[in-house]
Amino acid sequence: MSDPVFRSALAHRNDRNSVPGLSIGLTEISDRGMIDLRGAASDKKFAGAVKDVLGVALCTKPRSSASAGDITVLWLSIDQWLITCPRSAASDLHGRLVKALDGIHSLAVDVSDMRAIFRLEGDNARVVLNKGTSVDFTDGTLGAGSVRRLRYAEIAAAVHVISDAPCVMDMYLFRSYADYAWSYLSKTAAKASEVKLFGVQVGIGV
Amino acid sequence: MLVVTCPVCGVHGDETDFHCGGQAHVARPASTRPENVTDAEQRDYLFIRHNPKGLHFERWRCDRGCGKWFHAARDTVSLEFKAFYGVTELPPVELMKQATGTWAEFFKDKIKAGKAS
Ligand SMILES: [Zn+2]
Repeated sequence: MSDPVFRSALAHRNDRNSVPGLSIGLTEISDRGMIDLRGAASDKKFAGAVKDVLGVALCTKPRSSASAGDITVLWLSIDQWLITCPRSAASDLHGRLVKALDGIHSLAVDVSDMRAIFRLEGDNARVVLNKGTSVDFTDGTLGAGSVRRLRYAEIAAAVHVISDAPCVMDMYLFRSYADYAWSYLSKTAAKASEVKLFGVQVGIGV
Repeated sequence: MLVVTCPVCGVHGDETDFHCGGQAHVARPASTRPENVTDAEQRDYLFIRHNPKGLHFERWRCDRGCGKWFHAARDTVSLEFKAFYGVTELPPVELMKQATGTWAEFFKDKIKAGKAS
């Protein structure tokens, strides 16, 4: 039997560990597992079973997140969540979810290899994201804990704002887009392409 | 550019984050009486659409947000959205009353069941 071995979607790139000359911190997170969960938030049995396993209630407010220990729940839709945990714990957590949800109309799938995750850090990160989307990351509505699904550089992505000061954001995108998105971020986050307005550097809240 | 608001998750954004799914309130005759659908009805269901100048009712999808379908009332002249409402709902009563032509015909017997916005 052969065992599946995880290989980064950026493994073929020699700039995968560090891109020189960037105005933000850009790193790949590859040790995170992901579980896609669907069900009716209004179903008390479903919500209760999930809470018992995760140790945290599903967040029902649009574009929010919740976490307990090393488990984080990202809101994706009114009936869909992405549960993140350490990659090594995903299969066990998925197994426990499936068991707890037995007989309840719902779906839990281990999708740890479906998406790539990039971490963006630094004061300039929000402005860099603005270059690729119609969503305004500097308008003050997407604070720490927010999750925003969006169309980023023509591809589907989701951004989870981990913290505001310092600014840390995780971008989730489908694995097959990873190479393209890494190139796009490397170009748009280059120091030489910082956004300047009338010679003044634009910062957060300006 | 059209600015759309999703009534399901409340996200507000540019039309490229959404997807227009064509005319709303198209009922499939075979869903209600499969044993008795004429060729003309099936043709109308598949191909015949309203094309009003003015108030129009469409299906939209929150493509890069919550992924859900919803309905929108839009003026095809000014491109202004008049209302966003649920995928299982009728438009607000005042809009059903304002509808003209084939839409007025369609909403004629539905206004009573409708709700004000
Ligand atoms: Zn939505």
